[in-house]
Amino acid sequence: MTRLTSELHQAIDAKAFAIRQLCLEFITCAGWGHIGGSFSEAELLASLYGGIMNVDPQNPSDPRRDMFVLSKAHASPALYAVLALSGFFPRERVFSYCRPDGLDGHTQRGQCPGIEYSGGSLGTGLSYATGLALALRLGDNFASRVYCLLGDGECNEGQIWEAAMSAAHYGLDNLIAIVDYNKVMAKGKLSDLMSVEPLSDKFASFGWTVLECDGHDVAEIQMIFHRAKYLEMKGRPTVVIAHTVKGRGVPEAEFNYHWHTHAPSIEQAGQFLAALNKTYGKQEKFSRPLASPKDGGLEAVIFGDLA
Amino acid sequence: MKISFSTKSLRETFGQTLVELGERYKQLIVLDADLNTSARTVLFKERYPDRFIQCGIAEANLFGIAAGLAAQGYVTFPSTFAAFAARKALDQVYVNIAYPKLDVKIAGSYCGMTATECGPSHNCAEDLAIMRALPHVKVLDPGDNYELRSMMHAMMAEPGPVYFRVAKVNAAELFGPDHNFEFGVGHLLREGRDVTLFGTGFMTAVALAAATLLDREGISAAVAHIPSLKPIDEELIVRQARATGAFVTIENHRVFGGLGGAVAEIVSREYPVQLEMLGLGDTVFEAAPLQDLLRHYELTPHALAARARALVTRKRRATAA
Repeated sequence: MTRLTSELHQAIDAKAFAIRQLCLEFITCAGWGHIGGSFSEAELLASLYGGIMNVDPQNPSDPRRDMFVLSKAHASPALYAVLALSGFFPRERVFSYCRPDGLDGHTQRGQCPGIEYSGGSLGTGLSYATGLALALRLGDNFASRVYCLLGDGECNEGQIWEAAMSAAHYGLDNLIAIVDYNKVMAKGKLSDLMSVEPLSDKFASFGWTVLECDGHDVAEIQMIFHRAKYLEMKGRPTVVIAHTVKGRGVPEAEFNYHWHTHAPSIEQAGQFLAALNKTYGKQEKFSRPLASPKDGGLEAVIFGDLA
Repeated sequence: MKISFSTKSLRETFGQTLVELGERYKQLIVLDADLNTSARTVLFKERYPDRFIQCGIAEANLFGIAAGLAAQGYVTFPSTFAAFAARKALDQVYVNIAYPKLDVKIAGSYCGMTATECGPSHNCAEDLAIMRALPHVKVLDPGDNYELRSMMHAMMAEPGPVYFRVAKVNAAELFGPDHNFEFGVGHLLREGRDVTLFGTGFMTAVALAAATLLDREGISAAVAHIPSLKPIDEELIVRQARATGAFVTIENHRVFGGLGGAVAEIVSREYPVQLEMLGLGDTVFEAAPLQDLLRHYELTPHALAARARALVTRKRRATAA
């Protein structure tokens, strides 16, 4: 490996760590959020926004840009984090997550620079990405590509396969789907609740070029994305099945569906950062003191007004 | 009337009542789309694993399977968030369930704004309007745990499709353990002369608190609770129209086609009165804790009292003139 490649990989690994740490901070401050799926996609997003995609934080609406659709939009924290860390908007803004007039729990198109897609209803992103890719072709834009990150449980949705059929039918070689295959959905393992296997064969039989990689190995991710971009096109859409670990980096959260939707307490957040530091050989500290909100619900509103 | 809150969420009562009904009705089947610990159908799953069907994250599939089972004589409870029942699988609910009047009891969990931080994709302030518009579907929004439990017993005795809301909220206690829910029956919780405040679901508690505030300034507000939006208690609504001549409705829903709309449909025909509606307007759905959302959308006792006060002032001026 050349020194340059090695430096790039180190930078991406560092960015993936920063994504996890920032997610941990603002999810804790919101008292709500999806840690598991944000941690499993960290290296994928760090790679996409670390040179794979052609995007410019100074010109996020550039018509020649590559576009990114986070179909598994519940894992928005990692996307907000990577956008902030890449300079699309000030870092401070991620701390508005899940507050009135702040960043939504699921991505909303146009809410902040770099968000192309309103999501949250699973299964809808790949059709939307297909539409974006068709529009590029209709507009004679052969420079841009569309990247769409899917959840594995999300592949239960029929609409994913409707979109898979359409993208292949129209030969959309400007569309690259990625499956964050972390094997765990909201309430348990895919193999227990609803298996998507054989996933590679499914996409292949729908007419897609299928590539697989370790979704946490940056060298492998880089190689696979370069293949997807430059070698595997020719009239077919490509899917990268990235084998990942839900909650990667914090042993307690790994493969644990409890941490699909759950915010850590302040104390747990400290333990999680310590675990991240241990896993990745770092010694980072929180960038700010963390504070968790308390939702008093209906009761607080009623008794507040009656007082 | 002193307001006290349950320490148990409506969703917990939903799960517990399913277990209770499962014991009594062997033909009852619960279906899930990867939300069982949230919606609390996990309680049924643990007790009756053979009558619990996991459909994956696939809501169209969920309602299709529920319809097929119901066509074979089972009573099915497909459970998902209200957003996915009313918006995502609407066609399956309409074509496969509502139209053929199948015995499917649809629980809309995390209804209205009670999916809180999830934002617009998971919150659903349109379900009452959508479901009311479907033929043959009864539409319910329980006020407290006692009412939800009684409602679920009542729907087992009533063939045909039902849509009922299950909020993720600790509701105020409106009733007691002997409360008896009946389809099409509303409840006058507080007498009053100047205005009637109508609530449905857990928002009726806001109406009760607003009536207390109004009472402090000499406005006599009646409070009516409407758990059954379809069929609806027309008699109660018309009686209150004649008695008070002014209505304010409040709901965990948009002001289009929900409680406010249902009440307006009746009074505009039978006995027109001044009517104000509180709920979400034509606006985006913020993602935030419930307490912040209630304040953000002005669905508080103070806000309701202010609207009622303005209405009563207008009415008094008109009467004096």
